[in-house]
Amino acid sequence: MSDMPKALRQPLSLRLSSAAFLAFWCLLAAFPIFWIAVMSFKVPIDAFAANPLAVVFGPATRAQGKGLTALDMLALGGLLWLTYRAAVRGLPAMVAGMAAVIPPVLGWIVAAAALGLGFVLVGFVLLPPITDALNAALGLEPLLGVTTENYQAVWVENAFWRNFVNSLQVTLGVVLVSLTVGTLAGYALARAGSNLAFWILVVALIFRALPHSVLVAGYLPVFINSAEILRPILGENAPTLYGQPLSVIAVLVAINQPFTIWMLRSFFQNIPAELDEAARVDGCTHFQAFRWVIMPVMWPGVITTGLFSFLLGYNDFLVTSLLLDQSNMTMVPAIAGYFNRETTTTDQVEAVAAAVSITAPLFLLVMVFQRQIVSGLTAGAVKG
Amino acid sequence: MKIKALMLAGAMVLASGTAWAGCGYQNEIPIKSLSAGFEAWKSVTDAMAECGNFEAELDQEFRTKQPAAFAASPSLYHLGGVSNGTITPLINEGTIRPLDDLVEKYGAHLKPNQLIRIDGKIMAVAMMVNTQHLMYRADIFDELGLEVPGTYDELLEVAAAIQEAGAVDYPLGATMQSGWNLAQDFNNMFVGYGGTWYDDAGNPSVNNEAGIRTLEMMKALTAYMDPEYLSSDSTYVQQQFQQGKIAMANLWASRGGAMDDASESTVVGKVEGAAAPLAAEGNPPATTLWWDGIVIARNITDEEAEAAFRLAMEGMDTEMVAEHNDDAIWLVDGYQPTRLAQGAIATAIHNPPPPAYPSTTQMGLMHSALGNQLPGFFTGERSAEEALAAVEAEYVTAAKEAGVLK
Amino acid sequence: MKFKTFAAFVAPSVVMMLLFIAAPLVSVFLQSFYLTQPVIETVEVETCTPGFLEQTCATALRTRPVLDENGKVQTTTTFVGLQSYRNVLEPARAWDAISGFDYGALMGIDFWRALRFTLTFTFITLPLVILAGLAIALAVNNTAKAFRGQVIFISLLPFIITPVIGALSIRWLFVGDGILTRMIEGWTGEDIAVFAQGWSIELLMLFYRVWHVAPFAFVVFYAGLQGVNRDAVEAAIIDGASRFERLRYVVIPHLMPLIVFIALIHLMDAYRVFEEIIGFRSEAHVISLQYLTYDLLTPDDAGNRSVSRASASAMLTMVGIVILLIPLLRRTWRDHRGAH
Repeated sequence: MSDMPKALRQPLSLRLSSAAFLAFWCLLAAFPIFWIAVMSFKVPIDAFAANPLAVVFGPATRAQGKGLTALDMLALGGLLWLTYRAAVRGLPAMVAGMAAVIPPVLGWIVAAAALGLGFVLVGFVLLPPITDALNAALGLEPLLGVTTENYQAVWVENAFWRNFVNSLQVTLGVVLVSLTVGTLAGYALARAGSNLAFWILVVALIFRALPHSVLVAGYLPVFINSAEILRPILGENAPTLYGQPLSVIAVLVAINQPFTIWMLRSFFQNIPAELDEAARVDGCTHFQAFRWVIMPVMWPGVITTGLFSFLLGYNDFLVTSLLLDQSNMTMVPAIAGYFNRETTTTDQVEAVAAAVSITAPLFLLVMVFQRQIVSGLTAGAVKG
Repeated sequence: MKIKALMLAGAMVLASGTAWAGCGYQNEIPIKSLSAGFEAWKSVTDAMAECGNFEAELDQEFRTKQPAAFAASPSLYHLGGVSNGTITPLINEGTIRPLDDLVEKYGAHLKPNQLIRIDGKIMAVAMMVNTQHLMYRADIFDELGLEVPGTYDELLEVAAAIQEAGAVDYPLGATMQSGWNLAQDFNNMFVGYGGTWYDDAGNPSVNNEAGIRTLEMMKALTAYMDPEYLSSDSTYVQQQFQQGKIAMANLWASRGGAMDDASESTVVGKVEGAAAPLAAEGNPPATTLWWDGIVIARNITDEEAEAAFRLAMEGMDTEMVAEHNDDAIWLVDGYQPTRLAQGAIATAIHNPPPPAYPSTTQMGLMHSALGNQLPGFFTGERSAEEALAAVEAEYVTAAKEAGVLK
Repeated sequence: MKFKTFAAFVAPSVVMMLLFIAAPLVSVFLQSFYLTQPVIETVEVETCTPGFLEQTCATALRTRPVLDENGKVQTTTTFVGLQSYRNVLEPARAWDAISGFDYGALMGIDFWRALRFTLTFTFITLPLVILAGLAIALAVNNTAKAFRGQVIFISLLPFIITPVIGALSIRWLFVGDGILTRMIEGWTGEDIAVFAQGWSIELLMLFYRVWHVAPFAFVVFYAGLQGVNRDAVEAAIIDGASRFERLRYVVIPHLMPLIVFIALIHLMDAYRVFEEIIGFRSEAHVISLQYLTYDLLTPDDAGNRSVSRASASAMLTMVGIVILLIPLLRRTWRDHRGAH
């Protein structure tokens, strides 16, 4: 900072107002999420209490003997802080270490999963007995009404882990297929200057603007009757596409293609064409040039685009709720199922707990990837 | 505690291997069902699952999926859960089968009341009835010395008295979320004023005196409600009751049990049920009668149909009702009406009785049109006549498109 | 690049888009001109339904579709031209309302009501998202490096959170006696019901959308700010440019392509606004174009769906977005022509 020219230094008032604005924004950004997280740890009476203090301190929850002592809170805070540090500092080093063995994309996935698993293990298996014992020894009384019963109801009794596995399956499928198909197309579109390439991009842009409900409603009858429709072609093995994760992956990939190819195309445009032309002069085919010259340098853009595909696949509601059956249901429509016409208050608090649970992997994702998002975007994926 | 829960989960997984423990026989043919997801269905499908080889789908999109999934060949589900509203497309498209022979073989214990007959054939077996009726805070009524209202005019007086005393935030709650709920509230009141939604030729008949009086009464009631009533559904009204914010509501019987659920409610034991009030003397109570029950797909083999029906009978037996008595007003043998069911029963046996919600194509169209066009009246954008004229106009457009009106 | 190579590279992507986007689109386009109806018969049917103690049976006329020998519903498909479009647009009523300067009557027609909301929603959120994104990006760029990681992390939360859940979490803060409603009531001393009137719901929906999308604009702008040419900034300082002038004449022009990018994405996303309608239960007060299509396509209890009207409304929605995109498409076309 000391080499900063004097004129660039800012007056105190500007710095203060900028900091105040940022603090306000952070409060705005985090508060709703913080609030549902608080609700999810209370019994229904507290969670929907009219008095906000009752929601925060949970008297009814505490009355049932469920709560956190000062020591518990300290331990929990420490764990969260350590996780954050590990995600931001430790993981990139870990991935770099593994880079020799597996490609960075897989490396990130492995590292992120390891961190998530570690958090669950330490937070839910290792810590509780230790703090319980210490609390008993020190005779500490709970200060804050907190219960994990909603989470237990969701994950254990309602077998939410199945939805989690389904979500994982659909999301990973969407990311992998979307990127494979998208990088190929994005590369060709960046290198070909033909009018055809231009029109493909424009039509894709218009496709991106389409309201999804129009498309999705068209799929349902076709998917449900696909066995009947395909029987003349495929014989008795004709599959029913309705309810299959694979068909949902295909639909989501298609819906996401326009954005993916636009992103990747502008990214490839910023990789100098001389690079692959040189390879071509050396006798490589286009595909070889792509494989050996472009692929090694494209990861920042691919990771950024992949994150957007991840968000789309993970957060989708319209497609998954209509085209999947119960056994393959992903998490978002499963949560929405708690809120239908026939729910009870307990269902709703459990839904809140489920909602908080599904945000946790997203938290982890941003912690791990936030540098990649910024550097990927800086590297040119959005230059026009 | 966590360890215990994990062990419990493990035990459940083990139990599903030898699942027919709570069932009289072991089911060999894989059966799938699709139904709504409220408590009663959870209880019934859990009981069926005890026989093994059964997969239940309790889906909030079942309205959208059921007609298409049952029309597929072979049908994607063997069993369906329906109500008198949602059975209509299945009947119309002929995708469910008559159950007479199966009832004869496995349904000897069924009461005649449970058998839904259409054109002489048994098309569905009902397990429960549901109706909207008056629930009220007995403690507040006692304290203020109020009589339980028998008509809506009396109800308005009672509401005014409660408002005056300031006993609760809002004297009334109502399931008036725009769309399906609001339309259903209109239907209830409309019945009470002696209205019929359409004539024999299928022409709409809501823009008349009964319709206008209905809207006027509903508007009068809203003065005593939470001003956000246009976004309040049954769960919201139930929560308002549980948190002690309202004193009366015309609420679904299936919601009664929640009032006495100590883990959710702050008014345990204080809520009572009474018959749905009358809108006009001599008319039926201002509500409609609903049933929920099972149907069996046509496009499956006879063996599968038999297995499915047998399974359904196992799910709807006395044993299940004994375990889940409070989940619904069961029609199944062995049901013990609880304190909170009294209001619904009084409504159902009132003379003249409230009509059953009609299972017709026209009613579906009318319900949608009401749900879409009535909110304009409550937000003050339209007069009652304008709103009802808009309802009729939308109904006519939709009915012509559906081909039920020339 | 030879055509064959090009085709091989783009084929998987193009085939998927053709199969899952273009094909349904063509069928929607065709359906908007045709009307498929079942063949209907009216018969007298006795229906018995349960009461609590005993059944009630009623005989009534019942219209039902005729089934063919395979047990499928017999249907007839007729070409109706623009009839479905007329049913959606209601041109006669709309024209009466416009020529009579009767705004209320025009808003009584669903399509025009939805169009009004969709357009206001799009054009109000657009500048707000860009301004908020830019402000956050500048402020973050201004903080000490030590805090940036944390601040970026928190800032991105509203963007990554599942939209259905984000909308619900905001709704709970305001619905009934939600804590923020109580807070506002405390300040103003008045009894407030946010979900009781149209304008406050609309305001909340605008707020939610800006809250949800501004982080995306922020992170893109922030990435762009990392590439601002320091020499140009220093030259501007030597020329005596004030802080605001440097922002206006150096930073903003540098970010211009990104601003266009965000505007484009936001225009498309805001135009198909839908989650907010469901999440905030605003159907009574405001609806959007995509909601209109969705509502027409959702079967009622009796299984009826207005496929033709929904198709027409979908096509009209699409025409709208193409019109909005034309200026941007022309710019892309010029760039394309200029580059080759």
